[in-house]
Amino acid sequence: MDGGLSSLLAVSVDFSESHLFFPRIVFAVLVVLFLAVLVTKRREIAASAGRLRQEVRDTDRMRLLGTIGLTVAYFLTMPVVGDVYPHSGLGFYLTSIPYLFLLSLLYLHVRRGRPLLIAAVNAVVAPSVAWYVLARLFNLSLP
Amino acid sequence: MNSMLTTLGAGALGLALATAPVAATAQPISGNLRVVVGSTSTGGDTYQNASIVAEALGQKLGVNVKVDPVGATEAFKAITRDTRGNTVMIFHDQSYLGNLYGVRGYDDIFETYRIGPTVAINPGNAYLVPKKSPYQTIEDVIAAAGEGKRVRVAIEPGGVSEIGFSALKNAVRAKHPGSEGNVVAINTGSQADKNQLLFDGQADVIHGSVQANEQYTRLPETDQKAMRFVWLTSSRDVINQANPEGIGETGRDDMLKYVEPNTVVPRADGQPFVFDKDFFFIYNAKMSDEAVAAIDQALAGIYADGKIQTTQKNAFFIPNFKPSGEAHAYLQEKRDQYRQIIEAIRQ
Amino acid sequence: MEFLSLLTPQFFVLVAGGTMVGILFGAIPGMTATMAVAVCLPLTYSLGLVDGLALLLGLYVGGISGGLVPAILLNIPGTPSSITTTFDGYPMTQKGEGERALKLAIYASLFGGLFSLAVLYLFAPALADFAIKFSYIEKFLIILLALTVMAALSSSLIVGIFSGVLGIFISLVGTYPTSVGGNGEVRLMPEALIPYLESGFALLPVLIGVFGVAAILAEAAQGVREETAADRLRLTTGKPFSLSLFRGQGVNLVRSASIGTFVGILPGVGGSAASVLSYSQEKNFSRNPEQFGKGAPAGVIASESANNGLTGGALVPLLSLGIPGDSTTAILIGAFALQGIQVGPLFIGENPQIWNSMIVALLAANAVMFLMMYFAIRHLARLVLIPKYVLYPIILMMSVVGAYTINYGIMFDVWTLLLFGVLAFVGQKLGLEVAPFIIGFILGPAAEIYFVKSIESFGTLTIFFTKSPIAMVLWVLIALSVGLSIYLARRAAGRGPDDPAAERGA
Repeated sequence: MDGGLSSLLAVSVDFSESHLFFPRIVFAVLVVLFLAVLVTKRREIAASAGRLRQEVRDTDRMRLLGTIGLTVAYFLTMPVVGDVYPHSGLGFYLTSIPYLFLLSLLYLHVRRGRPLLIAAVNAVVAPSVAWYVLARLFNLSLP
Repeated sequence: MNSMLTTLGAGALGLALATAPVAATAQPISGNLRVVVGSTSTGGDTYQNASIVAEALGQKLGVNVKVDPVGATEAFKAITRDTRGNTVMIFHDQSYLGNLYGVRGYDDIFETYRIGPTVAINPGNAYLVPKKSPYQTIEDVIAAAGEGKRVRVAIEPGGVSEIGFSALKNAVRAKHPGSEGNVVAINTGSQADKNQLLFDGQADVIHGSVQANEQYTRLPETDQKAMRFVWLTSSRDVINQANPEGIGETGRDDMLKYVEPNTVVPRADGQPFVFDKDFFFIYNAKMSDEAVAAIDQALAGIYADGKIQTTQKNAFFIPNFKPSGEAHAYLQEKRDQYRQIIEAIRQ
Repeated sequence: MEFLSLLTPQFFVLVAGGTMVGILFGAIPGMTATMAVAVCLPLTYSLGLVDGLALLLGLYVGGISGGLVPAILLNIPGTPSSITTTFDGYPMTQKGEGERALKLAIYASLFGGLFSLAVLYLFAPALADFAIKFSYIEKFLIILLALTVMAALSSSLIVGIFSGVLGIFISLVGTYPTSVGGNGEVRLMPEALIPYLESGFALLPVLIGVFGVAAILAEAAQGVREETAADRLRLTTGKPFSLSLFRGQGVNLVRSASIGTFVGILPGVGGSAASVLSYSQEKNFSRNPEQFGKGAPAGVIASESANNGLTGGALVPLLSLGIPGDSTTAILIGAFALQGIQVGPLFIGENPQIWNSMIVALLAANAVMFLMMYFAIRHLARLVLIPKYVLYPIILMMSVVGAYTINYGIMFDVWTLLLFGVLAFVGQKLGLEVAPFIIGFILGPAAEIYFVKSIESFGTLTIFFTKSPIAMVLWVLIALSVGLSIYLARRAAGRGPDDPAAERGA
């Protein structure tokens, strides 16, 4: 085990700093790879700017941002409502109904007639079934 | 399903006999009770213990109880958020040992939270060596370290697994001053990893438990996996309360060989070091006195009924109920004792 | 045959019921086999060990198998180990071959399940003795081998590897936990975010976020157009299934089931590595690797026979070392503990009745799984006909349930879902690759532990090469895997448009 190579490859890890040992290596590799991507793919990257601009223009902003916005509101209200009835899963149940209904409404292109009815029924039935089976029968913790 | 009905029936009977005082206090805990557990494993002793206690508590209080093994960090967060007493935590000595060892995320539980009742002890906290090891006893290990041999002990850092290691190091320091550096920790995680280090010859001693390692001690010496107990950290009194059959082929009398006074890891004052792994409740600091009293009372009733003790002993736990006030003093005293050891070997 | 008296009608009812509930859990995006077993564990207190195990083993087999349904039909892996099923299963669905893919997957699952069961029954103790020859070092090399497949699964070598390393990096955010031997310190986050990020990102929410939420966001961005009547007809009228699809797949089946079983046997490597390894091996050895990712039946077969191979494999260390082989068997151990039965190296010899009844339960669970899924397929395949405005909100809701309950009730895991949904949506627009990212994310934590612990134990890098013959064999496999990936990337580049990345990688 003598010789230059094995001493070169000798590594010791200080336990109190060991949480940074591997992340540092990974980060270094990541930076090298990032630069490699920039160099080898520079033509594609330059060409993609126009494509991306076009895609942003074609995006259905209402539905995309609406989905994200509704979901954020859903996640924010869920624990608040749930806190009123602790550990009963009602926070999940009560906020899921409007969330499902509004999301369906957002996705529909024709907001009347049968699809609207289906959306309304689904918004009530799906959370009820999920809540009853999971929170009541299986005793899962829900917000 | 018959047994389920019997359980329900027995529970109802117990309820009828003992609910009178509880019902009179106008239910300080209304709605569902969530018991968060300081470990993330559903196969571990904390979850098992919490399940036994939670089931009995749910019947006694007449509420729906759910046990959630969310882990220490998340469990502390959960009880911090709830002052009403609908969220309580069950954990063991790790909760203050983590703080003593300076592990991030562990506050001083005696100041930050409110200590609830203790419920049981796991008497199986053990240290093992390979069956082929030259060390027959833990005294051999201490002597070897004193003679300058390097002894590698596989533990999980920062808690219950490390405290026995610290005691060992402290014993070497007391008997052979200056040699304690020969006892070195191999920091690892699960029982699987600790066993693996022993099989690989990368550790001389490992932390384990009677429950998880007993079968390994019965393998023939030629088997690479064969191990031998050298030390159980529990006190003699605790082991004496176990069922005489013990676990597997290792009866109570066998276990008594590995605890004081037969196997001694001395403290600085010469007295044997003991560590009993206690399970207890931890509450939000602002939880009402009424809610605390309600749980104390309900548990007192459960332990007076005497059924839970049988369940606990069959699962190899030693019943140890102390109401919250008593538990606080008892645990704080334990903490102060271990703090001395940890500080002594730190210098 | 004393144990036959334990096999009451209730035993079989529990196996069948468990398998059915397991399939449902597996089939709902966000719910997993692990969750099904965890949820039902308290029910076994009152059942007694043999009947309790009947239920739990049914849930286990059903849950692992059920994951193939959303993977194939919706491109959302129902369980982490069905990620690779989406690669070819979903393209088949898009071609109208959903039913065909499902049947293929079910047959492959059955084979994997039975194969691993036979291995478990015949060789459990011997394999456990072999498994303990794998120390930190060998386990690290297995993970490294699994990581090399990132290259095989990428469309552009360098971008794929970058995505994979990014996945590893993100998986390290959080605490270096003491429960695996770390020092409990946090890393890779600003001070202000510590209360949120200290537990890191959990696998399941990341997975559903990246596959499920991101896909829904992508649809939303395109306006959530419903299929026309003609399109819908096409969705269920692709090529029919026939058993002849398995012609020439014998090697694939056996190799994939063996990889699945063996990865299951190694504690701490993680089940997801099994299907990833076998999928990429099949692709590398295939005569037409360019078909993979476009609906190659062989890909579905490789993935599904491997992930069901896990079931028997993961039980080997549980029953012959007392150590769980994956996250689900880690919960099974609780069932034994609660009944006061020790699992360890002497379990099988001392409890022949329990052992035999477990084997029967697994056999029955596999049979029930096959029959139930086979006859439910016609109806399952119609899942793709549910209008999107109904289906997507339900998927999002169930994802929330899954994310919240995977760690028994942590709200941050729910936010992880949305965060990674948005990140993956944007990332894909920028050209990052999802499959290598997820594989890196899954394997990152184990890679860290085994790498750092190897160095802590031995203090040198040379040990990775010199530790044991097993280590050397693994290096040969790693070299082969890397070499094949580069070769395939070059061949693809040679045919397709000029791709500098392939040469760069070489």
